[in-house]
Amino acid sequence: MITQSELDGVPVLLSPAPGLMRAGLVFRVGFADEPLARHGITHLLEHLALYPLGLSDHHVNGTTGVEHTSFHMQGPPDDVARFLAGVCASLQDLPMHRLDVEKELLRTEANGRGDGALDAMPLWRHGARDYGVSSYPEFGLPAITADELRAWAARYFTRDNAVLWIAGDRVPAGLRLPLPAGRREPLPTPSNTLPVTPAFFRGAPGVVAWNATVPRNPASQVFSDLLEREMFRALRQEAGLSYTAGSSYREFGADTAMVVAVADALPEKQEAVFGGLVDVLTTLQVGRIDQADLAIVVRQRGETLWNADQQGTRVAGEAAALLAGRRVRQVEDEIAEIMAVTVGDVTAVAGKAQDSGLLMTPRGVDARWAGFQPAPDRSEKMILGTAHAAHSDPDVHLITGEDGVTLADGDDHQTVRFDACSIVQAWPDGGRLFVGHDGIMVRVEPTLFRDGHDAVAFLDARIPPGLRVDQPARRPDQIPAPQSGRPRPEPPPTRAEKREARRIRAGYVLAVIFGLGIVSRILRFTGNRYGEDVQFAVLIVLLVGGVVIAGSLIRARRRRVA
Amino acid sequence: MLLEPAAYPEFGVLDAAVARRDWAGCRAALDAASPSGRTVLLQAAAESPDLEEWLRRLLQADPWDSTAAALLGMHLTKVGWRIRSSATAEHVSADQFRQFREWLRRAEAVLIDAAARAPHDPAVWAARLTTARGLQVDLAEIRRRHDRMVAADPHHLPGQRQYLQSLCPKWYGSWPQAHAFAHEAMTAAPPGAPQGSLVAEAHIEQWLDLGGEYKRAATAHLVGARDSLHDAANRSIWHPAFRRDPGWVSAASAFAMVFAQAGDQQSAARVFAMLGPLASRWPWSYYDEHDELVVIRRYRRRSASALTGGGR
Repeated sequence: MITQSELDGVPVLLSPAPGLMRAGLVFRVGFADEPLARHGITHLLEHLALYPLGLSDHHVNGTTGVEHTSFHMQGPPDDVARFLAGVCASLQDLPMHRLDVEKELLRTEANGRGDGALDAMPLWRHGARDYGVSSYPEFGLPAITADELRAWAARYFTRDNAVLWIAGDRVPAGLRLPLPAGRREPLPTPSNTLPVTPAFFRGAPGVVAWNATVPRNPASQVFSDLLEREMFRALRQEAGLSYTAGSSYREFGADTAMVVAVADALPEKQEAVFGGLVDVLTTLQVGRIDQADLAIVVRQRGETLWNADQQGTRVAGEAAALLAGRRVRQVEDEIAEIMAVTVGDVTAVAGKAQDSGLLMTPRGVDARWAGFQPAPDRSEKMILGTAHAAHSDPDVHLITGEDGVTLADGDDHQTVRFDACSIVQAWPDGGRLFVGHDGIMVRVEPTLFRDGHDAVAFLDARIPPGLRVDQPARRPDQIPAPQSGRPRPEPPPTRAEKREARRIRAGYVLAVIFGLGIVSRILRFTGNRYGEDVQFAVLIVLLVGGVVIAGSLIRARRRRVA
Repeated sequence: MLLEPAAYPEFGVLDAAVARRDWAGCRAALDAASPSGRTVLLQAAAESPDLEEWLRRLLQADPWDSTAAALLGMHLTKVGWRIRSSATAEHVSADQFRQFREWLRRAEAVLIDAAARAPHDPAVWAARLTTARGLQVDLAEIRRRHDRMVAADPHHLPGQRQYLQSLCPKWYGSWPQAHAFAHEAMTAAPPGAPQGSLVAEAHIEQWLDLGGEYKRAATAHLVGARDSLHDAANRSIWHPAFRRDPGWVSAASAFAMVFAQAGDQQSAARVFAMLGPLASRWPWSYYDEHDELVVIRRYRRRSASALTGGGR
């Protein structure tokens, strides 16, 4: 039974558990709270806070997630008390002399979070804000200052925005949690960039993934479990199309949850995996659910909850619930709610899930036949202003105006408005990368456009404060050179070919970005729990392989297009 | 001559019930047929005009009626295909293509729902093998749909014919794939089953691909296939256990055509005799002649006179 008390103004949840005491001090702040131009600030702060505590004899760690940041430890009660007090002290006196070193470490440890191949999904649903930020590398690191870190700590790392959980027999004697007062930070409201759902976009090769927003309730959990069971049966056991096929339920935001389904696929089978997934989802949506299957997943989830409670691993989730303003529940109540779920409840959730679905298909799979609409990958409107023609192609223009910037190729354009801009990355050579709230990117390379440096100067003068993040100098070979006046050996590419080539280039950039993210995860996850590690390693092997294949495919196709 | 589907007495009953929008009457006619016969009848009934509103009302009242869903899916598919026309892709306008895909997507939505509710109804999977081609779904997904159909009915000729089309080079396959599938489907089916006609159909498709009636190579191909065509006929239409199930006229017509075209007039005459006054437009529609009946009469006459030793 979880008991709730309070210490120095911080709510404390105690859950009896065998073995060495474990404890976690959790704050309601994460990537979703970060503007993209400061993405990484929470992670950096977490690293700085742990630095003065030095090396420990025991397992000590910090994690930064989408909505929460926590410091946890396993060890004897006295050590736990010392660790927690140390964290509280450190949070108010961050070792700023370490700032550059820790930034460098984070750059090495690097960038992306999330689930590797699934990294891109939040950005396609939410754009480059709040819940979409976790799709991106920690783009804000170069710009973060000591003052900003102090302000971030003062706002989010307060006793009113924290919960302590302990898995053990008691609250350690003499434990103090000296934290300043503040306020409970509400969960961000998720942005939405999808004009229509169900929608799809083309993502990593070898993986079909789908997610949907559902109500946060036991029926949604059971829906996810049934989906996993049906996917495994249809895609793996019966059709032999996928090796891994599963679904998970994750709570996010104030009253929503997300169900995420993933299935791997050989390149020649990927459309069949998609077709099989569509059939499975529809089966649940129409309510053809076997009572026996429902009974099995309900029992399994109940057992998992009971075991988690006995081991003291459920309490961390309850700490998150408390931070979100919900009451702490006992395991018996939670199991009872799960047991009460009916086929009708699950069918209702499945219908909502179907309507809100976002699908990631491998390249080459067009999901429109199953009723999914393409998620927008270009802008509807363009900026009015000065057009700078590309040296290499008179159809391509960079348009700079008072409201923002557009990269236009005929009817096809990408626009970022200054009043809806998430970040501007700036290189000393004049290269700029604008990312809009909707996730649309405009890359400005002054060498490629007529009067390109004038265009950059014009834009620089209008970038809203706080969005510009200066980057280290690029090597000369990283700066694109305008094409020379050599005659073309081949006829100019058609519009469709050009569009394809551009899409491929964008894909390549993303593949590289997400590839780095994945590698960083391997490095970061080396000290974690064993079971997760194995699962993760399998996923990583799968994904790194996928990215490599993607790269080679893209190269192969570029050759054909060029 | 009595053309398919009017060649099947069951169709007359069904067609009359469709005309008076009598769903109970339709179901009675359809439920009495074999699984393959039922799909053939549904495909034929789907040609009737203006079924959508009626069938949608039926489905609203009972979404679990996969017979109504299959009929609606097939109907919407036929409407779409009529807009696209049977012309080759370069002769179809962009607007025709757009409308065609729109109709097929609507058909597919109905069929996805039906497949989820009634995964054991082979007519639904047969219909989804047709939409798959129009929606340019790839061969892996087509194969999955075929596997689901086989799970529902292992020897489902109307769906197997759709699958065979996908395995031809004009869609996603190759001649070895098409012939191998036809042969496997035939040998897997019980003696007297109509699946031997798939072997004939695969050869007809290759004949057409080789240039059809005007090309010596095309005729030579059929001559070369004579033994396997005889084997296929012996296992199917000439087998004592062969049943005159809806669809059998096309199956027999396939043999009549390949034998006639290969110059085996005796075998052709035997098939024509079996057909009596019955006929199907396919495969005679592959000839360069506006009216298939003209072609059918010509080949009937030719085989009959060859037998009697008469002229021409």
